[in-house]
Amino acid sequence: MSKKLFIILGFITAIIAVILAVTPLSNLAILPIGVAFVCGLIVFFISKKQNTKTKTIQYIFLLVIISLGLTIYKGVFNAKEVGNTEELEIREEENLEDSKEILEDIEIDEDF
Amino acid sequence: MKHFIFACLALISLNNFAQNKTIATGEKLIFTAAYNMSGLLTDIAQVKMETSEVKTSKSTLLRLKCTATTYKKWDNFFKIRDLYESYVNPKTLTPYLYKRDINEGGYYKFMQYKFNHKSNTVKSLKRKKRKDGETWDENKVVNIGASTKDFVSTLYHIRNLDIHKASPGDQQSFKVLFDNKETTIVLKYIGKETISTKIGRKECYKLAISIKGSDVLKGKNDNLLWLTADANKVPVYVKFKIPVGNGELKIESATGLKN
Repeated sequence: MSKKLFIILGFITAIIAVILAVTPLSNLAILPIGVAFVCGLIVFFISKKQNTKTKTIQYIFLLVIISLGLTIYKGVFNAKEVGNTEELEIREEENLEDSKEILEDIEIDEDF
Repeated sequence: MKHFIFACLALISLNNFAQNKTIATGEKLIFTAAYNMSGLLTDIAQVKMETSEVKTSKSTLLRLKCTATTYKKWDNFFKIRDLYESYVNPKTLTPYLYKRDINEGGYYKFMQYKFNHKSNTVKSLKRKKRKDGETWDENKVVNIGASTKDFVSTLYHIRNLDIHKASPGDQQSFKVLFDNKETTIVLKYIGKETISTKIGRKECYKLAISIKGSDVLKGKNDNLLWLTADANKVPVYVKFKIPVGNGELKIESATGLKN
């Protein structure tokens, strides 16, 4: 009974880990990775005790390895990089030109 | 005693109107904004604060520009390209024109305030995009107080305060025009603290910020600002708590400082 519970729990967390590892939230995947790994280990020891072979352990570990690999890869290689700012730069320029025109009409008191 | 403190604060603030001793032209501050997601701080965006000179035929103004850009990995998720700018008098940091041009995950909004300090009014223009891509404008005239500023120039104005004269516990409030409404921001000086940052270990002034009559900023002393305790008063660290979580802003680099 408990074996089944841990298999289900391990599977669910392993899948969540993979999903999170693919999204930009990759560093949130660490927690489900840990849970899935522990569940996998528990299932492994239970089946060892019962002398049964369970294939699901391999799947859980495989998913854990995939998500852990992705998370580490992203953590190491995805340096903080700003995306395409071309559109923003154009807007900045447009605003500056527009502002200059507006400011021409505004009276500026030097001392205020 | 209350009146005495009020008089002191009023004097201090009057004094501050006089001179800009802190903000230089060509200053560039870069920050990393991080948001707390279930206990893990994730870097989300880069925030830049730049100053430059703008010349018109009659006068010279200081352009205070703040931009926020999400990091590449977030762009497909939630793309932010925000621009906030304020054109101020370089001597007194009094704003004349403020613009807010934001683009957050497809949501577009443009706000423009033209300050008239003689009549204490602001001509505001709000531009929004409809679903079909067409824009619509809304013009309004808003009455403001004599010392009301916009959001960006208030940030710079805070840096220009004589914090070294304040003692822990001192408070000062500022009127800020945001979304055509005047809001009061209360700044409280907590004390000095030495923190390590990307630009070195710095002795800082620790300040608490709160907004009167609004629950955008949560907690009592949970919204904090650290300014270096030198003549530049560079904001090096900001901690904030909002209804949907908490986050922080950390300095990455500071160039072109005045002192």
